[in-house]
Amino acid sequence: MTFKPAHISRMAIALGCILPVVLLFGISLSQNWAFPKLLPQQFTAANWSALFTKGNSITTGLFTSLIIALLVASLATASGFFTSQVIAYHRFRRQLIVLAYLPFVISPVIFAVCLKFYFIRMNLVGNIMGIVLAQLIIAFPYSIIFFVGFWNQRIKQYQMAVNTLGGSNGYAFSKVIVPLSRPMLLVCFFQCFLISWFEYGLTSIIGYGKVQTLTIKVFDFLTEANLYYAALSCCLLIIPPVILLWLNKRIIFRRIE
Amino acid sequence: MFSKTANRLAIFLLFALAVLPLLAGIGYALLYSLGVTGALKTGFTFEHWKKLFTENNVLASFLYSAAIAAVSLLVSVSVSLWIALTNHQRFRKGALSYLIYLPLAFPGIVAAFFFFQFLSKSGILSRLFFQLHITHSIDGFPDLTNDRYGIGMIVTHCFLSIPFFVLLFVNFINTERITAYLQLSATLGAGSRKSAFRVAIPMLLRKSLPNIILYFIFMFGAYEIPVLLGRSNPETVSVMAVRKLQKFNLLDIPQGYAIAILYTVVVFSLIVLMLKSRKIAYDL
Repeated sequence: MTFKPAHISRMAIALGCILPVVLLFGISLSQNWAFPKLLPQQFTAANWSALFTKGNSITTGLFTSLIIALLVASLATASGFFTSQVIAYHRFRRQLIVLAYLPFVISPVIFAVCLKFYFIRMNLVGNIMGIVLAQLIIAFPYSIIFFVGFWNQRIKQYQMAVNTLGGSNGYAFSKVIVPLSRPMLLVCFFQCFLISWFEYGLTSIIGYGKVQTLTIKVFDFLTEANLYYAALSCCLLIIPPVILLWLNKRIIFRRIE
Repeated sequence: MFSKTANRLAIFLLFALAVLPLLAGIGYALLYSLGVTGALKTGFTFEHWKKLFTENNVLASFLYSAAIAAVSLLVSVSVSLWIALTNHQRFRKGALSYLIYLPLAFPGIVAAFFFFQFLSKSGILSRLFFQLHITHSIDGFPDLTNDRYGIGMIVTHCFLSIPFFVLLFVNFINTERITAYLQLSATLGAGSRKSAFRVAIPMLLRKSLPNIILYFIFMFGAYEIPVLLGRSNPETVSVMAVRKLQKFNLLDIPQGYAIAILYTVVVFSLIVLMLKSRKIAYDL
């Protein structure tokens, strides 16, 4: 069997994509891995089985992250879809879209330190509601930017056709617009879920260390030098995005086909 | 087309959830940095801003962040262009079309953790070098994390951004019919290298310029990666702002807010540049 440079480059790309996942799972399944050993002295499922013990902090972090991400994704997708429709057909469309861009591009951690004063005043520091609101401030503009391209002349004409045939705006929305936009709604939901799921800086500042999401746990385990639990938390952090990105790809490709 | 109430509600949502927090945050930071508000208010003063510009480390921090972002982008865009142009058909079907999505599933903090384990002195690469007798002790391995040149940060940024740019370029190759242009230039006598550099790459770069600027902004303001893989001197803008605002020295807080304002001005200028680079399309 001969290897051409093209084969080698493809294998290198595949290796670059797979290696981090394999190594993270490997570290999460190991114990006693001192320098200069290339492989851990012991492989064990103990770290993973600890997840099922009552009150495990990683499991709690997983559910906390999941609740926050689901709330943020649902609220951002619904409100972004609704708002983007009005913005897309608004006479100040361009200016309103620029306004939507601004909070989305600022570093979340810098945004969070600037907003912390108001969150303290509103008693929203150190609780889940505060984090949901803070993440919504980033996910909502993203959702608007995501959807604004969807509202084109074709969609407008569909809606007008329903109106001409006697259907109300509500009927057009529920029977025409929503079915047409279902794949986009799903993709936006996934993306907003990922924005929330990946978030660390803003969560650490508004959460004040009291709301322990998985990203916060990774950092905590690192500062405790608990390499194996940090790797385990990392694995839990990448499993849902892998599933969502796979679904995302399936949905996008099905739409194209 | 919409009822007045729906219109008003949508605009209210945009202002309440996007514009108001931004203005309130920037306003508070500006007033704090000018000594007008906050626990340390002294009355209107430019003292904290003057300090900001006289201390070299603030300017160094901005330049360092920009340099890390620029080098990361240069490497990732170049590598992505090469991968997309040589393998674009492989990303439509087959294993690579799925595997390329894997790095996109990595949050910044997970990628930073992985590369810390991979590139640090006691990391996997160092162990491999030791086992292969290339190095003879832990100190024999070079500093690739928390290092002066930000190698760990650059590698991590590249790992996260290359798949994004590959997918973007592959998409443009298909939608902009780049292969047809390449065939045309080949018919007119251009070699494959000349066709790539004179036709495909300029077209792809022009089309993706807003995305490149946007990615620069994200890398410039990144926090998780520099906080794990960076060092305290020089430090990136986000790390410096958070350190000044969150740590123990209260006298640093006004300066921290001034840095946040300066950062915001830089980002907004880049956004204006990005919007100018694409007249109509705002979609990411």
